[in-house]
Amino acid sequence: MSEKHEPGMAYSMPKLNKIMAFLSFILLATTIWVFLDDYIRPWKAIQIEALKIQRHHTELEIEAAQKEIDEPKLQEFKKSLLTGEEIVTSRNSEIAKVEKELSKVRASLKDQTIKNGFFNADSTALNFQYESAEGHGRELEAKEKLKALQKLKAEFDLGKNNFKSLQEKEKEILGRLADLNKEVITIQKEIKNVTGKLELLQAAKKQTDMDPIFALRNMPFLDFLDPTIKIQQIVLKDVTDDRYFRQIDKVDRCITCHVFIDKPGYEKENNPFRTHPKLDLMVGMSSKHPMKQVGCTVCHGGEGHRVNDFVTVAHTPNNEKQEKEWVAKYGWKEAHHIAQPMFKLSQTEAGCVKCHSGVELIPGATVLNEGRLAIVKNGCYACHKIEGWEGKRKPGPSLLKIASKVDKEWFKSWVWSPRSINAHSKMPSFFGQSNNSIPEFTKLNLTEVNAIAEYVWEKSKPYQPNEKFHPGNAVNGKKLIGEIGCLACHGVEGLEEQSKKIGGFAGPYLSGIGSKVKPDWLVSWLKKPWHYQEDTIMPSMRLTDSEASDIATYLLSLKNPKVEGLKFAEFDKTLRDYLLADYLSAFDTIEMAREKVSKMDDHFKTMDLGKRSIGKYGCYSCHNIEGFDGIPPIGTELTKEGSKPITQFFFGLQHQVPLKRDAWITAHLQNPRRWDIGIDKAFRDKLRMPNFYLSESEATKITTAILGQVADVVPMSGVKRYTAGEAIYNDGMKVVNKFNCVGCHQVDGMRGDILRGYEDDINLAPPRLVKEGQRVQPNWMYHFLGNVVPIRPTLTIRMPSFNLSLSDKNRIIAGFQQGANQGTYEEPAIEVTWLPGEKDQAVKLFNAYACTSCHTIGFNKNTPMAPDLHKASARLRPSWIRLWLHDPQKILPGTTMPTFFTEDGKGIEAGFFDGDAERQINALTKYVIELGGVGLK
Amino acid sequence: MLRELVNSISDPIFSFPLCTFGFYMMLKHYKIVGTKKFAYWTTAGMLPIIAWFLADTNFFSIIKTPDNIPIIILLLAVVFFTWFSIHKAAINDTRIENGECPIEGTEENREKIWCWPNLVYIELFAIIACTAFLIVWAIVFKAPLEEPANPTWAPNPAKAPWYFLGLQEMLVYFDPWMAGVVLPLIIVAGLIAIPYLDTNPKGNGYYTFLERKMAISLFLYGWLVLWIFLIIVGVFLRGPNWTFYGPFEFWDLHKVVSSFNVNLSELVWVKGLGIGMPKNLIVREIFGIVACLGYIMLLPPWIAKATKKGKEIYENIGFIRYNILMFMFLMMMSLPIKMILRWLLSLKYIVALPEWELNL
Repeated sequence: MSEKHEPGMAYSMPKLNKIMAFLSFILLATTIWVFLDDYIRPWKAIQIEALKIQRHHTELEIEAAQKEIDEPKLQEFKKSLLTGEEIVTSRNSEIAKVEKELSKVRASLKDQTIKNGFFNADSTALNFQYESAEGHGRELEAKEKLKALQKLKAEFDLGKNNFKSLQEKEKEILGRLADLNKEVITIQKEIKNVTGKLELLQAAKKQTDMDPIFALRNMPFLDFLDPTIKIQQIVLKDVTDDRYFRQIDKVDRCITCHVFIDKPGYEKENNPFRTHPKLDLMVGMSSKHPMKQVGCTVCHGGEGHRVNDFVTVAHTPNNEKQEKEWVAKYGWKEAHHIAQPMFKLSQTEAGCVKCHSGVELIPGATVLNEGRLAIVKNGCYACHKIEGWEGKRKPGPSLLKIASKVDKEWFKSWVWSPRSINAHSKMPSFFGQSNNSIPEFTKLNLTEVNAIAEYVWEKSKPYQPNEKFHPGNAVNGKKLIGEIGCLACHGVEGLEEQSKKIGGFAGPYLSGIGSKVKPDWLVSWLKKPWHYQEDTIMPSMRLTDSEASDIATYLLSLKNPKVEGLKFAEFDKTLRDYLLADYLSAFDTIEMAREKVSKMDDHFKTMDLGKRSIGKYGCYSCHNIEGFDGIPPIGTELTKEGSKPITQFFFGLQHQVPLKRDAWITAHLQNPRRWDIGIDKAFRDKLRMPNFYLSESEATKITTAILGQVADVVPMSGVKRYTAGEAIYNDGMKVVNKFNCVGCHQVDGMRGDILRGYEDDINLAPPRLVKEGQRVQPNWMYHFLGNVVPIRPTLTIRMPSFNLSLSDKNRIIAGFQQGANQGTYEEPAIEVTWLPGEKDQAVKLFNAYACTSCHTIGFNKNTPMAPDLHKASARLRPSWIRLWLHDPQKILPGTTMPTFFTEDGKGIEAGFFDGDAERQINALTKYVIELGGVGLK
Repeated sequence: MLRELVNSISDPIFSFPLCTFGFYMMLKHYKIVGTKKFAYWTTAGMLPIIAWFLADTNFFSIIKTPDNIPIIILLLAVVFFTWFSIHKAAINDTRIENGECPIEGTEENREKIWCWPNLVYIELFAIIACTAFLIVWAIVFKAPLEEPANPTWAPNPAKAPWYFLGLQEMLVYFDPWMAGVVLPLIIVAGLIAIPYLDTNPKGNGYYTFLERKMAISLFLYGWLVLWIFLIIVGVFLRGPNWTFYGPFEFWDLHKVVSSFNVNLSELVWVKGLGIGMPKNLIVREIFGIVACLGYIMLLPPWIAKATKKGKEIYENIGFIRYNILMFMFLMMMSLPIKMILRWLLSLKYIVALPEWELNL
C-alpha cells in the first residue's frame, strides 16, 4: 500500500459551476417550452378568429339597430326626462325621508331573518332531542323538552309573522317611493323600449372584447381556472362509440372549431365558421336532429372527440380538387387506422341509414333515396342480403313455366348477352366480360349456357294460355299503351321519348317482343297475368278483347332482327364432360372424376351441369327456378359493407382505383370483373358478379346507399323509433312500393314517376294521394282494390286491377289510415238531418256554385269533367269533404276544383247562410252525402 | 442494383453468418479495432453509406417512426461502448504484454479525490441534461399513440416491445414454448450464474481482453450477435406478417415468401429411408431425441476429455461449474444451429412431438 494521501480535486470548481449554470438555463428553457407547447393549440387560434367574426357581425347589427332608432322621438323623451327629473328633485326632502324609512324596515327585515334562522335551527335540534328522549323511554326528559320545544315554536311563529308584516311594509314604502319618482320612471321605460335592442347588442359586443380580463383568463398557467377560449363538446347518451371492449358515450368536439354551426347568420363565412345548411332539418334547436341530441359524427363520421388538428379528426375531402387544397393548407393526409373516417360531403346521407332502418325512402335524403331506388331497380338485394331488405320479390321473372313463353334458342341468346338483344335490359351480363372472353373460356361459357337452358326447359311446367291471339289494330294498340298507364312500369319501343321521360322500371323495357314471346301467351298475359305467374306484380288493365288484341298486335310487331332465326352455338358435349369432371375433381383426382363422369348417362350429365351452372352464376337469386327453393342468395352480404376494413377489399391490379372503400364500391359497380384483370386464375375461380353497365352517377349513388350500411351499434334509444302508426304506415308503403303503385300515384309527395309525363296538365294524371287515409273510407278502399271502378271520367289512364292478397290489401289500407293519423273508421253518415230550411238553401247554393257544370253525371247530359257526386258519400269521409271544399288547392295544388271560400271564412256566394263559409260547407257536405243515398250501403 | 444487393444480403440467411464472421474478425484484430485511428476512419467511411441509406424513402420511413428512434440511439450507444471497451482493453493488453500494469493501476490513477463535487456534482449534471433531453424529445416526437385496440383489426406487423424483438425473432426458428418460455428462463438463469461460474480473478477494475478471452468472447457473441443483431432484424427488417423486408424494400402488405418446413423425423423416415412414419411416437422421433440427448449429455464430457481448452477449463472450475457452463453454452449455441439447419434443410423441428407439446 502506498502512503495515505489527502483526497484531491479532479475538476476545477468554477468550471463546474459554469456548466451547472448552462444546464440550469437549458432546463428552464425546456420547461417554458413545455408549457408553450401545451398552450398553443390550433383550435385556440380558430376560436379567436371566430370571436373577431362574431364581433364584426355584432357591429353590423348594432349599426342596423342604430338606424332603426327613431331619433326625434328619443330626443323628445330625453327632454321630458329632464322636466320629470326637475319635478322629482323638488320632492327631494320627502324622498329622503321615505328612503330612510325604507332602510330602517330593511334592517329589521334582515334582523328578523337572522332570528328566524336561529329559531329554525334550534327547534329542529330540540325536536330531535325530544323525540329521541321519548323514543328511549326517558319520559321526564321528554316532557321537559316538549315544553321547551312548544315554547320555541311559538316564538318562531311570532317571528315568521313579524317577517311577513315587515315585508308588507317594505312593499308599501317601495310603492310610495315609486310614486314620488313616477315622472322619471315612466319616461325611462319609454326610452328603454326604443334603445333596448341596441343596449343588448352592445352588451353582446362587450362580451367579445379582448381586454386585460380576457387575456388574464386565457393566460398560460392560469387558463385552467375559468378560460373563455376552451374546448366545447357535446356528450351524447343515446349514441355510443364502439371502443371494442365497451361502448362509450359519443363525444363530439367539432363545435370547438365549427363555432357558429347552429347559429343562423353565418351562412356566408368560410369554414369552419359557416352555419350548417338546412338548420330547420338538422342541427337547429327546433329541428328533428338538434345538435345537442344528435351531435356531428353520428351523421358525418370521423373522430369527433379529437381536437388535435385538422388531420387526426379524419376530415375527408369531397373531391381531388379539395384534397389538393387541403394538402397545401393543412398538410392533409389519410388519417391512420380510422374505422369510419368522415363521409365525403356528397356521401353524407349515408349517415342516415344506421338510425333510419325499416323504411325504404327517407324524406329529404335525395342522393341516398336515388341510390336505394337504383338498388331496387337493379335488384342488388336479390343476390346480396341486406338486413331490412328481406322479403322483397325476386327482381327477375319466374322461369317455372318459361318453355311456354319463349323460344329456347331465344332464351340461350338472351342469357348469353341480354344487352345486345335489348339495350335497356335490366338483366345483367355474365358472359363476354373482361375476365372470360378469351376463346377457351367463351367455349366453356357457351356450354354452360346450353346446359342451363336444357335444365330450365326440362323443369319447366306445362302451361296452356287461356286466350287466343287474333290480329288487331297495331296503331290503336300503341296509342293504348301510351294512354292507359303501361309506361309507369315499362319503357316501350316506339314510345321512346315518353318512356325516357317517365323512366318506369318495375317491368321490363318492351322491345323486340315479336321475336321473343308466343302470341297466345302474350294475349293471355295481358288479360290476366297471374294466370301464368301467380305472384307477379303485373296487374290486369281490364282490357277488352279488342284492346288486348290491339296491344298484342303492336307489341308483336316489334321484331328484333338480331335474334330472328338466330341459332345458338351447338351443345359441346366434350366440354360439358370436361366441366363436370372439373367440378368433381374438387374432391376426387381428375382421373377418378373423369371416370365418374363417363359412367353417367347423357341426360343426367346435361342436367347436372345445368343445375351446377345455375348455382354457380346464382340465376336462382333473381328468378324462380325449380330445384333451388330455400337456397340462400349467391352474393356477399352487404348489411355491414360500410364498415368492412379496407384491407378486406381486393383491389387486384387496378392501380388507378384509389385505395378507398367508396372508390372500390363505385369501381366494382361499374365493372365487377375488373379485379380479375391480369390475375392468374383458373376458369372456375373467375369472378362471377355480372356487369350491369352502370353509369358513374348511378354507381356513386348506390355507393352512398351501401356506405350507409355500417356495423355501428346504435342503442335503441338513439335509433329513430317509429310509433305504432308510423311502423304500420312504413309497412303499408312496402306493399305500395312492391306493386309499384308509386309508379303512377305520388304518395305523400314521394315518387309518382308517371307524373313526369303529365307536365302539361296534372289533372289528366293519376290522382296524387295526399293523406289518402284521411280521404277515403277503408271499407270502400278494400272493395276498390278488389274490384276497380273508374272514378274520374276525364282520365284515359286506368287504375289497374292487381292480384292483391287479403294481407296486401289490409297492409295498404292500414298503412294509409295510419299515415294520415286516422286510427279508426269514421262513422259514416247514416242519415242526414237537415235544419229547417237548410236543404232548400243547400240545393240553391249547390246550383249557385255550379257544381254540376263539372260533376255532370246524373245531373245533365254534358261531358263529365269530375267524379260522380252520387258515389262520393260511399267513397269519401265527410270530414275530408269539408276539408276539400274549404281549400282544394291546399290538398292538391293545381286541381281544377275551384275554391269557393275566402280565407276570412266567407263564401263567395254571400246570399246563402249569411255568407258564412262554415255553414255553407256543412250544407254542401250534407247534400253530397244525401246524393249518395245516405250513408253506406 | 446496389440497393437490391443490400436488400438481399440483409436477409438473416446471409447477414447472420456475415455478422458472426464480422464478430470473429473484430475480436481477432481487436487491437486494430481498438485504435482511435480505426474508429475515425470507420466513422468517416460509414457517413456516406449512412447518408445513402437515409436518402431512401422506405428506409427513412422506418427509421423515423417515433417508436424506432430510441432504438437507434441505443444501437449507437452499443456500438460506441463496445468500441470503447475494446479500445481500453487494447491499450491495457499492450501494456500487460510489455510487463507493465494496466492504466487503471498506475500511481496517478490510484489517487483519491473528493466524492463531492467530483462525482455527485457531475451526476447532477447528467440528471439535468437527461431531463432536458427527454423533455425536448417528448415535445418534438409526439407519443406514438394509436387508436383504441380493435381485436378484429390488429396492427400488422404486430410487434413486441423492442427489447423483446430478439425473442420474437427466435419464434421463427423455435416452438413458442421454447422461444417464449424455456430459452428466456435459461438466459436469465445464465446471466445470474455468471459470477458463480467465472472464477478468473483477472480483469477486476480494469479493461482487458487478453486475460479473459474466453469469457468475453462467449458473452459478447451472445449479446451482440444473438441478441442485438436479432433485435435489429426484428425492428427494422421484419414487416407485415413478420416477413423479411430489406432495408430499402417497401413494406407491401401482400408480400409472400415461399416457406415450407419439414421435421427431422420426416426427413429421415420419408426422404432418407424411403419408408413411412412409424406409429410409435418415440420410434418416430428417435433420431431427434438421440441427437438432442447426445448434444446435451455427451458433448460436455467429450469436450472436457478430447480438447486441450476443455480440459483446461474443466480443471480450473471443477465438475459442477463445468457442466453448468457447458449446458448454458450449448443452449446458447442451439439458436445459431437451429437457424443454420432451417436455412440448409428447411428443418422445422428436430424433435416434433406436438402430441406432448414438445417441439425442439
